[in-house]
Amino acid sequence: MSAAPPPRVILEEPASAAQRLDFGWEVAVAPAAPIDRGWSSLGLAGLGLAVLLLGFSLLEAGNFVAAQFSQAAWLGWVTLAVAAAGFGLVFAAVGREMRGYLALGKVDAVRAAHARGDVVALRGALQDWQARLPEGRARAAGLADMPIDAACALVEATTLAPIARDAEALGRAAAIQAFAMTAVSPSPGLDVLVFSWRGIRLVRQVAALHGLRPGIAGTVALLRRVAMDAATVAATDVAVEAMLRGVLSSRIAEHVAGETAAGAVAARRMILLARAADEACRVLPRG
Amino acid sequence: MDPLSLIRGVLDTTEDAARALVGRERLRLAVTGLSRAGKTVFLTSLIANLVAAGRGARTLPALDEAVGGRIRRVQVVPAGTETVPRFDPEAHLGALAADPPHWPERTEDFSTLSIAIDVERRTSLGGLLPDRRVTLDLLDYPGEWLLDLPMLRQDYASWSAATLTRLRRGARAEVARDFLAFIDALPGDAAAEDALAKRGYTLYRDALRACRDEHGLRFLQPGRFLNPGPRGEAPLLWFFPLPEGARGGLASLCARRYAAYLDDQRSNFLDPFFTRFHRQVVLVDVLGALHAGQEAFEDTAEALAAVAAVVSGGNWLERLLGAAPTRVAFAATKADHVPSRARDSLAALVEHIALGARGRAEAGGAATSFHALAAIRCTEDAVATLEGQAFAAVRGILLNEGRGATIYPGEVPMRPPEPAFWQSGFFRMPEFRPPRLDPAGASGVPHLGMDGLLAWLLGDAL
Repeated sequence: MSAAPPPRVILEEPASAAQRLDFGWEVAVAPAAPIDRGWSSLGLAGLGLAVLLLGFSLLEAGNFVAAQFSQAAWLGWVTLAVAAAGFGLVFAAVGREMRGYLALGKVDAVRAAHARGDVVALRGALQDWQARLPEGRARAAGLADMPIDAACALVEATTLAPIARDAEALGRAAAIQAFAMTAVSPSPGLDVLVFSWRGIRLVRQVAALHGLRPGIAGTVALLRRVAMDAATVAATDVAVEAMLRGVLSSRIAEHVAGETAAGAVAARRMILLARAADEACRVLPRG
Repeated sequence: MDPLSLIRGVLDTTEDAARALVGRERLRLAVTGLSRAGKTVFLTSLIANLVAAGRGARTLPALDEAVGGRIRRVQVVPAGTETVPRFDPEAHLGALAADPPHWPERTEDFSTLSIAIDVERRTSLGGLLPDRRVTLDLLDYPGEWLLDLPMLRQDYASWSAATLTRLRRGARAEVARDFLAFIDALPGDAAAEDALAKRGYTLYRDALRACRDEHGLRFLQPGRFLNPGPRGEAPLLWFFPLPEGARGGLASLCARRYAAYLDDQRSNFLDPFFTRFHRQVVLVDVLGALHAGQEAFEDTAEALAAVAAVVSGGNWLERLLGAAPTRVAFAATKADHVPSRARDSLAALVEHIALGARGRAEAGGAATSFHALAAIRCTEDAVATLEGQAFAAVRGILLNEGRGATIYPGEVPMRPPEPAFWQSGFFRMPEFRPPRLDPAGASGVPHLGMDGLLAWLLGDAL
């Protein structure tokens, strides 16, 4: 085999500056677009049913109003007013539900922008979210003029941390009530009912702190999210508890824990629930 | 291991266990490499590509595959220490993306950074349980200082003897002529004069610099003589190796300063950062060593083995306490300087050059692997026609001229070359411009082989 030639550099002609290499890296590594599965069969059937119900009831109402007008004009107007008021209230309720449900989606949008590192979308979304917060809540100012990590840190310190403290306070208040209820309640069945009602109310209260006013659909969606986050909170809690038990296992500690355990479990669940609800509603992930 | 280190080791092991219990592991990754091996660029690329992968970009496909696509988020988090400057990947990336671009300057101080990787749990119920968070601690530092590690196991007399033996042979003897003449002319009982100490230091330092810059040598001690760091050239550095016969005040002064220097390096650099880590990557500029000639090639191998003897080879107690690395990856950097068909040879060659280092790591119970990578890919494959024959080459844009050039890097042997190979003489690989980069690094940076390395190094821990 002949010896390979020594290394060398062969300059290109002309000697003018060449363009930097471009490997088309951004395109090559772009995240795969999520598969759009479209509407599920159940969703389509539900939508169809809703259109049928609403459409036919509107048509039926229209026919009925027209028939009333044919009998007497004043009768027609009164029927029309009743129909308009009834449908107006139904539509207002649906609209409110939709708004409550979509507000949760906005939380996801802010979180997604944060995860993607989409600075422009995140900044805009944070400002929109701050605008929706209840009156009297401290807001971070000047977000547009600072680096995004500083803006996130400021929102966390100015708004999210106080909200978390308020959520904790709501949780403690609910815990005291839960503690009292388990003490005086005549039957365990009633315990469960009262506890569930108090829990749902607590979740809605915490959501309101974050500027969310969920209706029925929103509350159901929120409870699903809280259930997921509760797993997070509970798992950490279990691990910490296991460690504490390991460290503090003594007869006295066990005795004290045993005495207070019965009532404390219910109370403690409320505090956990408040933390999980806060976790589910916060626009930025906890650092 | 002294009792204090033992207590610290036990505490650290307890902390690691507690963190693992709550799914908040901390993984210390030691990125070791001799000077100009490409540590800073490696860290910049690692951070940019990991953060982009956390946003869903497919920058590290092999790592993604190794962890089954469970990486959810990656973010930079404050490092555990606040006294050390923060490694600034954005600034490095900005300089690389700028027009004209700049490669990072020689690293002159420590900097550190932590990145949090949130991963879904491996279990079938992983989707329901909270994500695990693995925090990766990274450190950048001047590569020259790494060669201070072997000095910790030597006293002044044995260090002097070993250093002077090396200095009196090959290319070193030529560039250290003035220094060697100076110490040979010194009387054995020379008094402890600061002026003499400083003169000897200056000559020795200049000899070390010439060894590094003119001959590509790497086994050069002490590290702060070449790279004094932010504190500059303090009188602490005014010492140099003396022959065995020296017994006077100057010899005592040099021995005292040698001990003080090591104490200083130990407390500021080695103990805080090099006593405990879980994974290690050793970066080697094999191609640079190959092009610098036989002496530089063998010198690099010797330097790597000397460092590995201290860093990778934990004793049984350190292994028990989890203070020794469990995985050590050796990587030939700048793999984009050779055409793709020669990259396997580069990985094979790093296996040979790191033979001594590998032995130490494996004796310490660590698994080892060998890779060829380019933290930032700057070239594309090309063909060079030389003496009427076509040879695989690379094409890139020269850093300073901005002009396109095809480079034939020569043959890359798979094992240490035969003596005839070295006759082609010294070749200095030109510096290339980085490719077009997004200064914000939203899509990471183009690389070669980073994903394979990270998959092997971190895959099991995620």
